[in-house]
Amino acid sequence: MAVQRSDAELARDARAGSEAAYRELVTRYATPAVNFTYRMVRDRALAEDLAQEGFLRVYQRLHTFDPERRFSSWFFQVLRNVTIDHLRVHRIPTASLDELEEGGRRVSIVDRENASPEELAGQGELASAMTAALSRLRPEYREVVVLRYQEGLTQPEIAQMLGLPAGTVKTYLHRARKELAELLAARGWSPESREPTPGKTL
Amino acid sequence: MNSDPIESDMDRKELNAWLMAEEGGDEEAADAAFAHLFSAVPRVEPRPMFVEQVVMAAWAWRARRRQMALLWAAAVVLVAAAAASASVASPVLARTVVKTIAFVGGHTVPWLVAYASVALHGWLTLGHVGAVIAGTLMTPGRVAALVGVELVGILAFYALRRVAGAERLGDVQV
Repeated sequence: MAVQRSDAELARDARAGSEAAYRELVTRYATPAVNFTYRMVRDRALAEDLAQEGFLRVYQRLHTFDPERRFSSWFFQVLRNVTIDHLRVHRIPTASLDELEEGGRRVSIVDRENASPEELAGQGELASAMTAALSRLRPEYREVVVLRYQEGLTQPEIAQMLGLPAGTVKTYLHRARKELAELLAARGWSPESREPTPGKTL
Repeated sequence: MNSDPIESDMDRKELNAWLMAEEGGDEEAADAAFAHLFSAVPRVEPRPMFVEQVVMAAWAWRARRRQMALLWAAAVVLVAAAAASASVASPVLARTVVKTIAFVGGHTVPWLVAYASVALHGWLTLGHVGAVIAGTLMTPGRVAALVGVELVGILAFYALRRVAGAERLGDVQV
């Protein structure tokens, strides 16, 4: 049985010029990278462009990677910097634009054209509601939620990545969960009700 | 949308587990329950050619960098070789080059120094006028008052920035 090589080993080999090692790293992190950037910019094509730019910057800076540190944490830090740089330059709104009031009725404008098929179909009702609620969080909450609950980073790793005190990350996660609970409750996903309220969609 | 009643019931149970943990103030249990619930949220997948494009882009950059390094190395070698062969083949040519550099330097540096002196003189004059005015108007009491007002202004600005920063970051511990 082949033993899977660690990220640090692959990074070391990629730095030494191994295309296979770099390809393996990209394969491992392609989905987390695109998922993370998509949650930040809400545009599928732009998310892939930013992820590609992130991978290139990672390759260019492999010599700065400290093997003592977890690769995923370092990788997301580089990727986040790329994303933040882009958002600063292009001043793209990252929050509160996913829904608009239209004729008094709340309608979803979660970019259906650009949304992934996974976002539009095959989701349970709650997962679907959660996806939409996530898109309404403040960017700083959204990113810690994705990093913690989808990418499995620990709170200290997220704190190191974002340059924030560990307590602040804990606070962000706490508040993000609270806001998500409120957003879900507003759509009928409260503990008391048995079914989501009809006509209320995210 | 999936409206399978069994799945919906499972959703509801997981949601209840999370919300109860939140209400109970059990941070660890809430974190774990939410992680479990959130695992149902699908990730956004890249297009099939994404990995290939990324690897190609990185290797194209690597090739360009190597090319540039080679070009620089070749340029340095060429210049060194040209200089060496010129001095060996024609000492007169080498002497002429050095003399030209010395001539150009000798004529431009004094001009630059003179220009800088004139510019500096203007500033010095302004400084002198300022010092005379300040000497006439300022007393120790006025200086102390001015410094006091500036300090209060700086402190107010710092406090405002702290307040604005705390509001923006929501930087409060749970």
